[in-house]
Amino acid sequence: MAIEFSLGKKQLETREGIRGLAKNVIRPQALAWDRAGGIPEEFLRNMARLATSMGSNAMRSGLGDETEEEKREAEKKRGPSGTNLFGVLASEELAWGDAGLLLCLPGPGLGGPPVRGSGTAEQKKRFFGMFEDLDNAPLKWGAYGLTEPNAGSDVSGIRTSCRKDGRHWVLNGRKCYITNGARAVWTVIFATIDPALGRAGHRAFVVEKGTPGFGVGRIEEKMGLRASETAELVLEDCRVPEENLLGGEEKYVSKEGFMTAMKTFDNTRPLVAAMACGIGRAAYEYACDFVKDNYVLSRPIPRYAAIVERLAKVGRSLEAARSLTWRAAWMADNGLANAKEASMSKAMAGQAAIKACIEALENCGAEGSIARDHQLLEKWFRDIKVYDIFEGTGAIQRIVISKRLISDLKSF
Amino acid sequence: MISFEPTEDQKLMVESVAGFARNTLRPRIREFEKERGVSEAVRKTAHELGLGLVGLPESVGGAGLGMTTAVLLEEEVAWGDPAAGFAFGGPGAFGFAVLELGTPEQATAALAPFTADGGHARFGAVAWGEPKPNRDRAGFTTTAKKTDAGWTIDGTKSYVVNADRAEHFVVFAQVDAAAGWRGLGAFLVDKSAKGLKVLARETTLGLDAVSFGGIELTSVVVPDSARLLGGGDFDAALVRFFARHAVIVAARGVGLSRAAFDVTREYVDNRKAFGKPIGHFQAVAFTVADRAMDVDAGRGLVWRAAAAWDAYDAGDRNANDAKECLLRSAHAIAFVHEAAMRCGDDGVQLHGGAGFMRDFPVEKFMRDAKQIGLCGMTAEHADQLAGAVALGVAIDPGLVLPTPETQNAFV
Repeated sequence: MAIEFSLGKKQLETREGIRGLAKNVIRPQALAWDRAGGIPEEFLRNMARLATSMGSNAMRSGLGDETEEEKREAEKKRGPSGTNLFGVLASEELAWGDAGLLLCLPGPGLGGPPVRGSGTAEQKKRFFGMFEDLDNAPLKWGAYGLTEPNAGSDVSGIRTSCRKDGRHWVLNGRKCYITNGARAVWTVIFATIDPALGRAGHRAFVVEKGTPGFGVGRIEEKMGLRASETAELVLEDCRVPEENLLGGEEKYVSKEGFMTAMKTFDNTRPLVAAMACGIGRAAYEYACDFVKDNYVLSRPIPRYAAIVERLAKVGRSLEAARSLTWRAAWMADNGLANAKEASMSKAMAGQAAIKACIEALENCGAEGSIARDHQLLEKWFRDIKVYDIFEGTGAIQRIVISKRLISDLKSF
Repeated sequence: MISFEPTEDQKLMVESVAGFARNTLRPRIREFEKERGVSEAVRKTAHELGLGLVGLPESVGGAGLGMTTAVLLEEEVAWGDPAAGFAFGGPGAFGFAVLELGTPEQATAALAPFTADGGHARFGAVAWGEPKPNRDRAGFTTTAKKTDAGWTIDGTKSYVVNADRAEHFVVFAQVDAAAGWRGLGAFLVDKSAKGLKVLARETTLGLDAVSFGGIELTSVVVPDSARLLGGGDFDAALVRFFARHAVIVAARGVGLSRAAFDVTREYVDNRKAFGKPIGHFQAVAFTVADRAMDVDAGRGLVWRAAAAWDAYDAGDRNANDAKECLLRSAHAIAFVHEAAMRCGDDGVQLHGGAGFMRDFPVEKFMRDAKQIGLCGMTAEHADQLAGAVALGVAIDPGLVLPTPETQNAFV
């Protein structure tokens, strides 16, 4: 090993391929998807096929970490690139094309990691099995249902209840802000047997579409990422078969239930950070191009040192975030615990990219906010904000980080 | 491949330099500060550890370990004492100046004294800055005029690191008055040259163990062979010199940031208020988390810049575009200068009143952070350089380098 940041030939080729796709195919459609509030299924199917051909398992087993076996399989196809590292490189490029697309791709999505991490062999087979036939079967999604109207960052405060009734569990409550929630064939739902027990009372279920008492509430209207479906899920005396309790009863003798929820994020946070870098880079490059082509007071804009400085600050903040993102992914590939570093990458990338989008808009002046002329800029500005919110707000990332820096800090 | 793991050799070197920093430098930072220098015995140890020549290629007499190894070691040294890297013997910025601006023969000859016995006692320096901007034209007031004997240099140079310790200088002067910042020349000048006078050492805000001063040149005559031509494109070589040196300074900035962070992290663990360690309050803990990100992201940028230079040095340098190196170096130095200041400032802040007292090292780190931010190249100039590269506009030395017209820096 040695410290280096150059990509191998195969990695470069693959990245170039994705870059070309993002530029020539994805970005030209991004605005239409944003307005339509969705992406045509045929396009998503093509993307899924493409991703599989490039060695990604995400369409079958979801985002984040892969098993050793999956890793070996993937490396056969794309070389020893490191799967997490490859994931962040690809995510940045795709998000550069359109941020919404990544969230719309079929597959288990965020629901994948808890099933893979905590599911029994039978459950993994059953729930991942649904995603096998990508070429012909209807597209399918999985989802992850943790957040509730009154439990956001403080996930230990969830109130969705579950009680055993014969060979079923009966669930009652509401889940909100669930990506692909309405179309998911199953959703990992977190509930509690008794709120007074805190995390020890948490249980995770795989709730299948069509389960009696499991319904879709409203589909949210959002500031950005409008092509992505965000749904409310309603559980009213929802009867879930006991074999859908994730991991089985024995999994819950300890606090495992809660840890299941949290483990999902160690490997997905760098991916989210990478997507933020991609959107930020898109805005930054747009601003650079704009100033190169335009004049203020009959002078080309790059002759104004203040403008150059603003762009440079954005450029280096994104680069700083990217270096933290690569590091977190590299650690995961090398089997190193990276919860702190994953949170660092997300905390820095979210803010750097938001700043990049704001600055890009301002650099273009009043024109920047006019959808007619600079529609992408206006879209990125709306899309990016949530990257400092979902999968743990900036404040939550700082809790994760500081707990690993300060002695004996269990909670605030 | 992307990898964040140093080689086994690098790990061993880092370990031994870290031990030196922890056991020899850190316990004596106040002593070095008061003495306004690092003792000769310590400088000798540093020399034996090979610290002075690490980043220079073997072809010009360096250790040939590459910029990546250099930044790893510089960070450790600066963690011990942010001033030490500047105050050890060795060529310092002079080394990079002759590497980038001189021919291989000039560079090898100029670096020979530093590789020879007693190298720890020899300093090099770069005479770049000047006390005042020239009101009549762009460029330096110091001039070099062609004569039959070679060149005659007149003028005053300031903000020179190790001016009073150096035996060998690279002096920058105006060779073409009409060409402004594109009319500069560089010359090898020895301290012993007739007409060269070392000016009084300055008292500074921080980095007290480093000597900051200037030289006055009165009709100093050097042969034509002392002129460094930058391999045909002087301005490009000049910017490369600043960028390369900036990476080393940035590595020291990372060491400084980490030093301030470490003492602060320890303090918030131990200091109790309202019945618990102050680190257990979110306002404090989140600040600590932010500064940890500063340290780590700064290091990442410095490594990336160093790796870019190593790739550049390994390839065909004529064919290899240095733009990548310039961009990475500019990102690294600008980010680290600002991050180091945040680490120093927040470090003192979280210590409360105690941070203001010299019983604790953190006030020194805060002063050092501002001082180091004025070394090599400032964040403002680095941003102009990065912006010029990113926007694909011509790199104007008068805009991207620290000059008396914009903002002097200690080189």
